[in-house]
Amino acid sequence: MTDLVLPTGVWRRECAAELKRSWRLPQFLVPTVLTPAAFYGLFTLAIAQNRSPATAVATLAGYGVFAAIGPALFGFGAGVAMEREQGLIELKRVSPLPTGAYVAAKLTAAVAATGAALALIYLLAIVGGAVLSPAQWLLLVALHLASTVPFALIGLGLGLRMSGKGAVAAANALFLGSAVLGGLWIPSAMLPGWMRAVGEAVPSYHLGQLALEIVGMPVIGSGQVHGTVAIGMTALAAIWAWTGWRRSPA
Amino acid sequence: MEKDLAAAASLTDVSKRLGGKPVLDRLSLSVRAGEVTALLGPNGAGKSTTVGLLIGRLRPDAGEVELYGLKPERPAARARLGVMLQAAGLPDVMTVAEMVTLQSGYYRDPRPLRETLALVGLDNLADRRCGTLSGGQARRVQYALAICGRPELLVLDEPTAAMDRASARALWSTVRGAAADGAAVLMTTHDLAEADALADRVVVMDAGRIVADDTPAAIRARAGGAVVRCRSTVSTMHAAALPGVRQATSDGAELRLVSTDAIATVRRLLDADACLADLRVHDAALEDAIAGLLSRDERIAA
Repeated sequence: MTDLVLPTGVWRRECAAELKRSWRLPQFLVPTVLTPAAFYGLFTLAIAQNRSPATAVATLAGYGVFAAIGPALFGFGAGVAMEREQGLIELKRVSPLPTGAYVAAKLTAAVAATGAALALIYLLAIVGGAVLSPAQWLLLVALHLASTVPFALIGLGLGLRMSGKGAVAAANALFLGSAVLGGLWIPSAMLPGWMRAVGEAVPSYHLGQLALEIVGMPVIGSGQVHGTVAIGMTALAAIWAWTGWRRSPA
Repeated sequence: MEKDLAAAASLTDVSKRLGGKPVLDRLSLSVRAGEVTALLGPNGAGKSTTVGLLIGRLRPDAGEVELYGLKPERPAARARLGVMLQAAGLPDVMTVAEMVTLQSGYYRDPRPLRETLALVGLDNLADRRCGTLSGGQARRVQYALAICGRPELLVLDEPTAAMDRASARALWSTVRGAAADGAAVLMTTHDLAEADALADRVVVMDAGRIVADDTPAAIRARAGGAVVRCRSTVSTMHAAALPGVRQATSDGAELRLVSTDAIATVRRLLDADACLADLRVHDAALEDAIAGLLSRDERIAA
């Protein structure tokens, strides 16, 4: 290996530039941040039949995961496909920029958008009477933010393989599918058997169950298994993204 | 083919198929430091594929591509490479200065921002968002991104397409400057005047192979040295058979001959047509030379 000393701060500057770029695209940022909070507010606080702190907490677990899926799938999946069509990635790929820094920058922007969406949902949950210990809050924040990762990788794989329009359609289908099948809107226990079976195959289901475990709600199966499966699915998503990167000409 | 050890970048016996069709056929080419190499050829000749392989966007099916002895996709190779692509875009919401600063940050010893912007004539546009730039201005930003890191190898794909003449000339002088500082430059172009003005070496490609590789002057000389124009009743078929004629074309009104022996050609031409008018003889341009190289099989074109 010929020694290559990267200039210091490449990763940091790439992340900062990507955050700035997202910030200047409010047409993308505002809907992805507001939608999950609006859904949460509507379904759990406004029109729920038995409003209670317990429902506020139980639904918070799932909606937090839901909040992570949007920025990850749309920012990465559809976003990367459109950037590819506009020739924005081509120069990055032939530049002395580590691939990791490019991906990290996109991920940072997705996590930041998720963070903003989460802040709104948590606020609504607190207003709705949710009470959690500081440790539970910390774990929940960590899990919800980490939920961005598998979906960002799935999105990246899509974005590198599909056209802009195709990727938007696929991201939409995945977005809604992951939310419903993963039991993020309606608890998995209340879903028909076949939907629950299919739900086992989506990471959102396992992440949702982990979130329920953190907030002390009843969980289907064991948390350990859900954690292992979620990590395994993230690894598969990483392979899917990596092979997409390798085979895409630009 | 032997490897050129002094080369900054080299393709050795490279073949590449795209979409099932062969695009390059055992092509070997090396680009040397301090030299501007222009890659010329008709659309579909394989110029962009050659560039794509050289910068590591594409991988060869057979043969070897090396930048400074490394595979082009290796970060250590890319650290020495600056690229201006044809189809690359710029993010609408970022400013010119932000983009150049970000790109400069990928290199270890970049030019200061102001210097890069001044070189490319973007001083006044530093704070403009890329989405508001004209086509020519955006191309200048792309050029700035290519040179901001003081690359040792500069690859420019149709650099002056969409640029006005003044911008193109300004770009030429910075390309010459980069080569004078020791950079190896490879550029593709359709503009023969550009290749003539700028290149130390012209490589002509046709159907995935190199058909000529020489200095612009030597390639011009290959055309035979002179172009003869006149109004005449002599047919192109007849003219092509005259001594010295390598190429005969006619636009209906004017007969145009590329000749290696203008005096003999003109003498026989006058014998053949006593009423010949508007006779002019001048040096062949690079264009004539290349047209001659590309159309050896169909030298008579009406």
